[in-house]
Amino acid sequence: MAKRDIPEINAGSMADIAFLLLLFFLVTTTMDKDQAYIRNIPKKIDVPPTDVKVQERDILAIKANNQNQLMVRDNIFSDPNKISEFILKFYKTNEQNNDVANNFPMYSSTTTSLCDQNMALLDQQLEEAEQKGAKDQAKFFQNSYDEWNKKKRAIQLYGKSEIRELSVQAHIRVEVQQGTAYSVFAQIHNEIEEALFELRDKECTRLFNEQYSILKRRAAQDSDPLDKDKLALLEILYPARIIEVTPKN
Amino acid sequence: MSKFKKEGSGGAPTMNTASLPDIVFMLLFFFMVATTSKETDPTVEFESPTGTKTMDLTPYKQRSEIDFLYLGTPRNPNRVKAFKMGFALSLDNVVQATPDGLYPTNTVGRWKKDKFSQKPARMSAPIETVITCVKADRNAPSGLIFEIRKQLQDIEALTIAYSVRDKGNI
Repeated sequence: MAKRDIPEINAGSMADIAFLLLLFFLVTTTMDKDQAYIRNIPKKIDVPPTDVKVQERDILAIKANNQNQLMVRDNIFSDPNKISEFILKFYKTNEQNNDVANNFPMYSSTTTSLCDQNMALLDQQLEEAEQKGAKDQAKFFQNSYDEWNKKKRAIQLYGKSEIRELSVQAHIRVEVQQGTAYSVFAQIHNEIEEALFELRDKECTRLFNEQYSILKRRAAQDSDPLDKDKLALLEILYPARIIEVTPKN
Repeated sequence: MSKFKKEGSGGAPTMNTASLPDIVFMLLFFFMVATTSKETDPTVEFESPTGTKTMDLTPYKQRSEIDFLYLGTPRNPNRVKAFKMGFALSLDNVVQATPDGLYPTNTVGRWKKDKFSQKPARMSAPIETVITCVKADRNAPSGLIFEIRKQLQDIEALTIAYSVRDKGNI
């Protein structure tokens, strides 16, 4: 039998098909990534707590008015880029030594034995609450227990017997008005994020000899518990406590 | 007269285009890898402010743990006056109507709840952690942002993201 030639397929239109696909992807996709500042909204509570006294030194109020003018701790800031420097000062002033004279938040020492003490106490309270069947209470105790446990692990990772911790009440307060432009609002968050990044990055380089951004990216991808612990330590050293005040006018 | 026979027929020689598909496919793969799919084409116009040290939302998008809402000026200039302060909210490409000229934010809660109930079953994240990303125009009033925030607080969707364009990332 004669050998038959296999007919060749005309591939001339292959390019056209590929172009079609290419155009489809060009049209339906974007190059720019979605970037944002993620914030938590506090849970709604039915009964607002009675006036809790917060010391003036623990508040860093960043205000912006309807004319988009900025004020940090009652000083007018004409250059918004300087805010992050002030936030750095807020965190760093009393980091080594407490000085009551300056108006910045205090630091206190937390030791492993203190963590153990609190954990034992909370464990006991948790058991009592479970016996009584108070679910909300039990959840609260469980959460605080986890927090102290996290702190204990952080101190162990820190390599010292104690850790210098920022006052629990110290926080950054973002106060804007109804008409403040979103760009100013975003700029305030930008400054906060910049300051926190700088603080954590410096500490990260000192402690673990690597960049904070690299550590963060790796921790998001892999499941190495050590990376998560490292991030937790940095967050305990420089906590991001941000309160956004709902504008009244 | 000529002694030498002309080579070919005189026309331009044909180019071999066999490798053209390969080139195009290469381009195609580049775009497939380097881009992400657009969420929607929003019906409002907005220009995001810029910022640094931002969080990349791509991982959340891949897990569909994020909903976007847009706050900007309506495309039709005649409609601008219908909205208080000229800003409209776009949820899933529907510009929210404002019959009373009030802020159109009172639909956010219902929208978010609907979105959450439509999520695929494999997604286990509770509503508190499902991010709501606000993409607002640079001139949008912050009062509107806080109204959205309040709506989210009411339904306990407790994670919000303020969208900006990263300076370092084009």
